[in-house]
Amino acid sequence: MTRAFLRMLPAYLLAGLTLIALSHALPRFMPGDFVTAMCSGSHVVLNGEEDAELRRRYAHEEGCFQYLARLCRLDWGYSQAFMTPVSRLILDALPWTLLLMGTAHLISTALGFAAGVEAAWRRGQAAQKISVEVMTILEGVPEIATGVLLLLVFALKLGWSPAAGAETAYAQHGTWQRVLDVANHLVLPLSTLVVAYLPGNFLLARWSMLLVLKAPFMETARAKGLPPLRVRYAHGACNALLPLVTRLGLRIAFMVTGAVVVETIHSYPGLGTLLFNAIARRDIPLVQGIVLFSSITFLAVNMGLELFYGWLDPRLKHAS
Amino acid sequence: MHRDSWRELKQDQWFIAGSATALLCLFLVVAGPWFASHDPNDISFSPLSAPSTEHWLGVNDGAMDILAELLHGMRKTAGFGLLSGSAGLGLGIFIGLAAACFGGMAERFLMGLGEILLAILAVMILILAAMFFRPAPVVLAFLLAFLSWPTTAKAIRAQALLRKESLHVRPARQMGASSAYILLRHLLPELYLLYLMGFAGKVRSAVLMEASLAFLGLLDPNRKSLGIIIKYALKYYYLDVRFNWLLPPIACLTLLVMSLTCLVISLEKLFDPRLREWWW
Repeated sequence: MTRAFLRMLPAYLLAGLTLIALSHALPRFMPGDFVTAMCSGSHVVLNGEEDAELRRRYAHEEGCFQYLARLCRLDWGYSQAFMTPVSRLILDALPWTLLLMGTAHLISTALGFAAGVEAAWRRGQAAQKISVEVMTILEGVPEIATGVLLLLVFALKLGWSPAAGAETAYAQHGTWQRVLDVANHLVLPLSTLVVAYLPGNFLLARWSMLLVLKAPFMETARAKGLPPLRVRYAHGACNALLPLVTRLGLRIAFMVTGAVVVETIHSYPGLGTLLFNAIARRDIPLVQGIVLFSSITFLAVNMGLELFYGWLDPRLKHAS
Repeated sequence: MHRDSWRELKQDQWFIAGSATALLCLFLVVAGPWFASHDPNDISFSPLSAPSTEHWLGVNDGAMDILAELLHGMRKTAGFGLLSGSAGLGLGIFIGLAAACFGGMAERFLMGLGEILLAILAVMILILAAMFFRPAPVVLAFLLAFLSWPTTAKAIRAQALLRKESLHVRPARQMGASSAYILLRHLLPELYLLYLMGFAGKVRSAVLMEASLAFLGLLDPNRKSLGIIIKYALKYYYLDVRFNWLLPPIACLTLLVMSLTCLVISLEKLFDPRLREWWW
């Protein structure tokens, strides 16, 4: 347990409770009720009896604690548009988002770190300068732009990759064929995300490596006659890792939000697309469920990171 | 910090590139709609027609002139960013300086509130609010500002605390300067680069937020912003209209975000003096 973690714990708990209370209270502030929101704009005409029945079903008052208990039982409500429990929909979509975002973060962090460390090591060289310039420009390109461009070029113009979905529907594949199929569908959204995340990781890794290079212990390592690769990675890069881990944690915490735009552009059936569809159909319980799920994931990942820092950088454990 | 950093900034290529593009965007935002020869809501043209001298970027599926939409959309998106950015920056400056000046309970309360807000996903609150209340974009911009002040406030408080003990502020206090005098004459003006950095960063994230919310369909579809144009153009991406309908708003959004990113990067570099001579 780091001291920083204990200091932050109340803030996280309060934030979590605020979110749950908000999620509990917001529908109550809404003008009208679920029934009006659902049926006033649609073609369905309710007679008095049906209206009363629907109102009775949705109007049951529950306290904040009952709501909390219901959330803990994974009873997140019932999606009106998909006619399925919200928790089921979220759990179905989650693996795809995890696959997409996990791979994207893994690749962009590993690549960005290695490239950043190498670029810092080669400071002053022309190739390094160009790489920094290119990465800075890429950092300014929003995901929406990369996603659409990749879609237009590789799915539409060249036809190398499928434009939508996570696997071929109704295909009868063996295990390996299925893996290949999934990978083929993954390529475009994955490259979009890697292009979006790589520049930031690269610039950050290079930045923190530059700071480490100035540290006296690097001089000592070199003076001891250690081989350059050992100096660069075991002594240098390891100490430049912390900011990158922070960033990775923040990005993982942004899992759903980060994926919304890219998943929607490529019609990837993850949480982002689910959120998009839920909003399009004004499916309030589902939106609420996804929002709450991702906010709580955000909190949990941040809390986990605070714990992890102490292990990663022992200096933090002893800092007041 | 004053003159030196300004001189240094003026020599930084990223700052020059960033501010030049930002000025270009600002020009388009301010003067753009005057150049539009059509009303963006005029639906009297023939739908999905190709670019011509009459309609430089063609006409969309709703029979509206795309160039006019684009010029107005730029203003809507950038306006959202500027409004939210300035409100968030104002709150951040005020709270950061107040925390640094008062200290004690007030400081702990404000910074604690900041920590709580930082632990909350802003976009999710905005989605909930937009979904339930369908507020005007101005309200969403202020809500975003309220959720995004803590980063600036933390940076400003830290710098203000350092500066309070610096060699020219201490004598001023010993000569009897009041806290208000020190706050207004020393702390407020001397941290201006921090404001610039916070502002650029906040406007950048607000612009992206507006584009994402519009893209998700949470904003009024009749309010033509870049995100809305992209959302509707994307439905027809397999037609030839992609070159005149889909790509221009994407290019505008990229230009906007890129200019702000360049500014943020050049200012960040300035703030880490350990890196200045080592940058290349």
